[in-house]
Amino acid sequence: MAYKDLREFLQKLEEEGQLVRVKDEVMPEPHIGAAGRAAANLKNGPAVLFEKVAGYKNQVVTNVHGSWANHALMMGMPKDTPVVEQFHELNRRWDMYPVPAKHVSTGPCKEVKITENINLFEVLPLYRINTWDGGFFISKASVVSRDPEFPDDYNKQNVGTYRIQVKGKDRIGIQALAFHDIAIHLRKAEEMNKPLRVAIALGVDPIITFMASTPIMYDQSEYDFAGALRGGEPVELVKAETANLDVPAGAEVVLEGEIIPRLRTCEGPFGEFPGSYSGVRAQCEIKIDTITHRENPIFENLYLGMPWSEIDYLMALNTSVPLYKQLKESFPEVQAVNAMYTHGIGAIISTKCRFGGFGKAVAMRLLSTPHGMPYTKAIIVVDEYVDPFNLEQVMWAITTRCKPDKDVTLIENCPGMPLDPSSYPPGMHTKMIIDATTPVDPEPQLRTVELVEDPPKTAEWEKLLRELWTAK
Amino acid sequence: MICPRCDSKEVEVMVESPVGNVWTVYICNDCYFSWRNTEGEEITNPEKYSKKWKLNREILDNLQVIPPIPPLKEQA
Repeated sequence: MAYKDLREFLQKLEEEGQLVRVKDEVMPEPHIGAAGRAAANLKNGPAVLFEKVAGYKNQVVTNVHGSWANHALMMGMPKDTPVVEQFHELNRRWDMYPVPAKHVSTGPCKEVKITENINLFEVLPLYRINTWDGGFFISKASVVSRDPEFPDDYNKQNVGTYRIQVKGKDRIGIQALAFHDIAIHLRKAEEMNKPLRVAIALGVDPIITFMASTPIMYDQSEYDFAGALRGGEPVELVKAETANLDVPAGAEVVLEGEIIPRLRTCEGPFGEFPGSYSGVRAQCEIKIDTITHRENPIFENLYLGMPWSEIDYLMALNTSVPLYKQLKESFPEVQAVNAMYTHGIGAIISTKCRFGGFGKAVAMRLLSTPHGMPYTKAIIVVDEYVDPFNLEQVMWAITTRCKPDKDVTLIENCPGMPLDPSSYPPGMHTKMIIDATTPVDPEPQLRTVELVEDPPKTAEWEKLLRELWTAK
Repeated sequence: MICPRCDSKEVEVMVESPVGNVWTVYICNDCYFSWRNTEGEEITNPEKYSKKWKLNREILDNLQVIPPIPPLKEQA
């Protein structure tokens, strides 16, 4: 069920009709970015592999995660698996954590090693993704770093996806926002005026990429979670060349270097996941000193823009599941959480209500989770019989359960996601809770509500009609 | 040559295409804008670069710093 590396997954996508090859040579701009946008526009769009990019040696693949079909195949499920079933399967596998990674002495990512005259363009076919990006960005990296205070603590090692702007043949900028785990590592290093070593893995097993963009607790291992989501099959890791950092053995490319302490230089703008460009800011820089890669490496990168695009599949169910688990721990009444909208800036909670005000209180719990605190801005709470992944049902709950004067709550002066263009100053926001649950005691229910239930034998008729329909 | 985005003269060749003589990428060492000479004039030509995205010295000197640089800790 699990894939050992990106190449094995691309082979599966091709067998399932979910990968197309562009054999003719293309110019880097605007074609690769445009194809990434176009593939995401198609329903169940495919991954796109560019075999020849003008002026470059290697291939590029984009939109690898960019459809629910590809997402299901990543999970080892049939490509037509409904989203809600993928959510429940992720929940089931989540509980297998931790599945300790297997540490091996070498792997395909070590086939070629470069330590002199580093030139990223020799290895990676870099390109501008969106027109007004400040340069060429690496948008799908798994960045590995360790806590300088606990350098031997494997669980505090972080694997995260952060945007990277190429600023030279061996120099890149990286965005480490204050609430990102890597920013904790960086702060400790900068307090001592020491560089922070990083290893940047590109083109890895799709589950590792998925976990690198999943909000888990600080001392949980993304790799050991990946083993769980691989159905209990551990990931294989090798040591980086220059530091005590673990990288996927099957990675296409690993860039190694260090964040230069206490330096910030101009970075951006960049077309970001909320569908608008980020501002130009002073951000960190990394000097790359070592590259290892497979023979003929494939550069995997993603398009991001107005949702939905490939990045949304990498922050949909993997945002929903951890928030669900964290809420469920405190409130077993919670049935499901759909936090698929713009990395959980919007979220829907389905819950039973044990007493009056319960729905609103559950929403506040979500706002106090590590991810919900900075990200989530708009929360809708619905009754337990409403499927939060069915937006028609959610809208029905709002239109028939919500009394705005008491059920819409605004909480001012809270943390906010700075890339949300309505956050001002960037990083601050007002939270909104829409409680669309039915009032329970001691909250007065001003009018009785009797749900219209399905007539008897509806389920039988549904089955019969489906058979008649497919037989015609 | 000047930077299409901030009009700085601190511009240099970042890299020539590794295969063939197909393109050149330039970098501005003031605002770190980079561009490929094969891109459209709206990207490569300072006069045609959109005013909405232009930068100047005042903007560059007042950028928000992310993440903030912490105070140095005294070494034990």
